[in-house]
Amino acid sequence: MSETTADVLIIGAGASGAAVAWSLADTRMNVVCLEQGDWIDPADLPGSSPDWESRMVGDFGFSPNTRGRREDYPVNDGESPIAVSMFNAVGGSTILYAAHFPRFHPSDFRVRTLDGVAADWPIDYARLEPFYAINARMMGVSGLAGDPAYPPKEVPLPPVPLGKLGTTLAKGFNRLGWHWWPSDSAIATREYEGRAPCINAGTCLTGCPQGAKASTDVTYWPPALRHGVTLKTRCRVREITVGEDGMADGVIYYDGEGVERRQKAEVIVIACNGIGTPRLLLNSRSAQFPDGLANRSGLVGKNLMFHPYAMVTGIFEEPLEGYKGPTGCCIMSQEFYETDPSRDFVRGYSFEILRGFGPVYTALWGMQSAGLPWGPAHHRGFADLFDRAAGMVVISEDLPDPANSVTLDPDLKDADGIPSPKINYRLSENSTRMLAHAVARGREVLEVSGARKTFVESPLRLAGWHLMGTCRMGTDPRTSVVNEWGRSHDVKNLFIVDGSIFVTAAAVNPTNTIQALALYIADTMKKKLANLFDD
Amino acid sequence: MTDDGFTADEERVLRTLLDDILPPSDDGRLPGAGTIGLAAHIVRTVRKTPMLRPVVEYGLGALADLAAKRSPGGWPALSKQERSAVLEDFTATDQFFLPAFLFLLYSGYYQHPRVVEALGLEARAPHPKGFAMEADDWTVLEPVRKRGKTYRDPS
Repeated sequence: MSETTADVLIIGAGASGAAVAWSLADTRMNVVCLEQGDWIDPADLPGSSPDWESRMVGDFGFSPNTRGRREDYPVNDGESPIAVSMFNAVGGSTILYAAHFPRFHPSDFRVRTLDGVAADWPIDYARLEPFYAINARMMGVSGLAGDPAYPPKEVPLPPVPLGKLGTTLAKGFNRLGWHWWPSDSAIATREYEGRAPCINAGTCLTGCPQGAKASTDVTYWPPALRHGVTLKTRCRVREITVGEDGMADGVIYYDGEGVERRQKAEVIVIACNGIGTPRLLLNSRSAQFPDGLANRSGLVGKNLMFHPYAMVTGIFEEPLEGYKGPTGCCIMSQEFYETDPSRDFVRGYSFEILRGFGPVYTALWGMQSAGLPWGPAHHRGFADLFDRAAGMVVISEDLPDPANSVTLDPDLKDADGIPSPKINYRLSENSTRMLAHAVARGREVLEVSGARKTFVESPLRLAGWHLMGTCRMGTDPRTSVVNEWGRSHDVKNLFIVDGSIFVTAAAVNPTNTIQALALYIADTMKKKLANLFDD
Repeated sequence: MTDDGFTADEERVLRTLLDDILPPSDDGRLPGAGTIGLAAHIVRTVRKTPMLRPVVEYGLGALADLAAKRSPGGWPALSKQERSAVLEDFTATDQFFLPAFLFLLYSGYYQHPRVVEALGLEARAPHPKGFAMEADDWTVLEPVRKRGKTYRDPS
């Protein structure tokens, strides 16, 4: 049993946990973080090995259900059209993310006011803007200032290359008069804060052995550890415990050998994201909180939002050198981002232009989605696809729906016997109509760019990366789980800093906003230290 | 299948099956899958992904059984056309074997140095050498800049 009491205990060392740890480190408090995964040795990442592409569907796959690592927990997503993707390690899912790093738009925080749907956030873009800026410097964001789709913002590093593929598509967007801009990317395009520059290896989705991609194991954690934060890996928290006063007083966790241990704490910060956080709270039942900790609103686990994705792939006559360059970061279009009353859906979507595929993935994708035959016709079919494919994903705004939820599965458990989450999710009519619109526009821009045929996957099943909304923030304890600075309405020393507190999802990758929120919450905690638990 | 690899019966099916599914290219640049030692890759991958093992075992066994019904000599005695017919009959009723087997086959074939070089690429891991990319011409952004602000200001 641990004898020490942490001043602050952070659960989860991913995108948000790392940012909070770094921010709180300068208080000199005793900050401890428990992470169920381990450090990933860059030498073990697939990109340095010839079989790197096939490992993308093996030990570095997106799904915790098929990856088979001990630190993963299974997720019952069998009844969802979108499968959950995540990674458990120091750095969390930033180990495998594309590092596409857009901000939310100012309008994203005011969807009720502007469009009459969902709810407004209790904070606005201006509140988060300074923390977006800090995060840009800490993560090392590359891009190009001047994007007319955003208020002015600082971008510390030059953009990732367009390459032949990006230039081809950019000209297509220009022909249609549509917005596009080089992606904001959490990728060091030159040497930055001890990180080596991107070498266009194209292995981002299996981790970056170069260290150019901003996973938090190479950004926030090194300075946080230097400033005294304690990070304990292979420690899986089972439940948060509460004292007689109704305050959280610590956690029970299993160490790497499966031994049950306890960590006491004065303040607890949950950073397990949109699936892990409600799972932990629902597993933390007690006489005082029979429906799960911090769940008097009944909203823990409710309003799960993904970003429903579609993938539109064009096949071109000429080689595009698409295997070169950051996989998920090239250009983005926000031509259809905002609500347009002439359309049959509310809110909007972004297009993200991806790079092409390597040989293995071309064959696997071709088999699954493009009718690539086996047998004598295979080689001709493969030559038709390889290095001729330009991929584009649609990332559409999901709106909160209480029926979309995370609950505890009655049977499924992780390796330590902790009940696993079950996902109930259906695609809304609004999302279905939005995806149909986006697929048609995606085909249009690919064709005007020169694609001779296109292939569509909609909705994209293995695309449940973005996990949001399951412990939403707000000022009313009846309609939200945490307040406007991330503190639980029910438990005054319990904070949540991850994507679960999102009120709405916007139509961009959430990591930048998750981290900006985490930094904002940590900053508020520091400012209120003397009266942190007051009403 | 054993932990050491395929049984003799499975090996007999596998050798020709690999070439039937992925024969050499017409111009001879790309080798047939049966000639570049992919059986070892399949064994390694199945060992790392145990859920594939029963699918592969069942599929190879079923193909051998179907072949035996056609000819007393079984799979090795069938002509290429007969083997293709057996494979097509089997995969028409079984939805699991072929996708799993193609995954194993393609993932091994398209990372094999002979194949990668035949595709015009260097047979190496992407890291640490990476890939050079030409400098971009950002004048392509001018039409977007000219449009001016497009975001909605909620205030």
